[in-house]
Amino acid sequence: MKKYKAYRLITFIVFLAISLPAALAEGNRDFMRETGKINVVVAVILVIFLGIVWYLFRLERKLTKLEHQTKDDQ
Amino acid sequence: MWWKILSVVLLVYVFLTGLLVPLKSGIETVEPAAAHTGREITIRFYGYNTFFEKSAESPIRVWLYYDSQYALSASSFTVVNDTILDARFNMPVNLPEGKQTVYLNAIIDHPIAGASLLPAAIELNQDSSGMVAGLPLDAAWTTTPVETLHLQKGFSFPYQNVIYESIRNTYFHVPMWFVLLFLFCASVWYSLLYLANPSDSSIIRKLKVAGRTLTYMVPAGQENDRRAAAYAETGLLFGILGLLTGMIWANYTWGKPWSNDIKQLMTAVALLIYLAYFILRSSFDEPEKSARLAAVYNIFAFASLIPLLYIVPRMFASLHPGATGNPAFGTQDLDNTMRAVFYPAIIGWTLLGFWIANLRIRYQRLFDRAMDLH
Repeated sequence: MKKYKAYRLITFIVFLAISLPAALAEGNRDFMRETGKINVVVAVILVIFLGIVWYLFRLERKLTKLEHQTKDDQ
Repeated sequence: MWWKILSVVLLVYVFLTGLLVPLKSGIETVEPAAAHTGREITIRFYGYNTFFEKSAESPIRVWLYYDSQYALSASSFTVVNDTILDARFNMPVNLPEGKQTVYLNAIIDHPIAGASLLPAAIELNQDSSGMVAGLPLDAAWTTTPVETLHLQKGFSFPYQNVIYESIRNTYFHVPMWFVLLFLFCASVWYSLLYLANPSDSSIIRKLKVAGRTLTYMVPAGQENDRRAAAYAETGLLFGILGLLTGMIWANYTWGKPWSNDIKQLMTAVALLIYLAYFILRSSFDEPEKSARLAAVYNIFAFASLIPLLYIVPRMFASLHPGATGNPAFGTQDLDNTMRAVFYPAIIGWTLLGFWIANLRIRYQRLFDRAMDLH
């Protein structure tokens, strides 16, 4: 169940990074291609940031679980 | 501790310079893109990051350039605005070497913004009715040679068509692969250490945790295995990020996210091999057996990583730049201004990767101790 959640988050990030620009594009006006494709860089940085945050979030959840466990022991 | 601060400082530098340093001036396109010989024609140049209106001591010069022998300089030009310039050319009567079609490069030289070039900007066709048989081949090609081109002063990144600003991804997408390599190197190193003495259990290890030296009763063998797993896991994280960011970049430069490019395929295979490492680790109940098999597998995984990422892609045609030489270190795709950001980016991202891996190791150490207490 938890694994399923993580996959959902990853697919959501990928979906967002790839389809959001397409959704924002109207006709010939392309959000990702205008102003020298700078928004491609924005998307790349966002994916890296979200990926690292996702990993840290996962690590924190594990730590919380461990903290609860050790608390029970005392 | 110092290296964590260094990582932050370097990454702040990379984000600031990587995003704020402007691109060099470039020619985005010209209109019309085709012309005939023997006529006078006005060609509109669309510049990128150009400032044609900015005055300077020496004038702007415009050329259509075939080779060092055949170049056409504009007879006159008018500046429409900073990014649009109309230049008039007297097209020559004959094409060089009796050719029917030649492609001319467009060159604009601005005394401050420097020279910019658009390769194969204009298709020049031989007009058969206007061809003069007796005329020497180079007649009407101007004798104003393309020389004393200016260089842009100051810190700026190269302008490349199609890529434009996304050249800045060099500081974000490319370092992911360097982090992956360094983390996988560390992983295989600890796997080797583990295999050298798996049951090394009685050694007291002094561990520096958050600036303090703690004396932990940490079995060295177990610790090596733990580190190998944590480095492989974070390496995989950066590999996935590299693959995802590469797909985004590819979508807007190569046209689609996945082109079955040799590098894309080989990295996908490499990541799957490392994914199997974790499946292998989790499929044994006996911790010692799982650790030993994982360590052996890790060595094979690393041994396959090197040909998959660094040898095979160089033997095939690739959409990636510098595939035939030494990518990322070649002189074609990186100039010195980019190196001044790219190398700090590699170090900064790598240190961040080791930082995250370190947190993962510390968590696992606590977890294993808690399990031992039971």
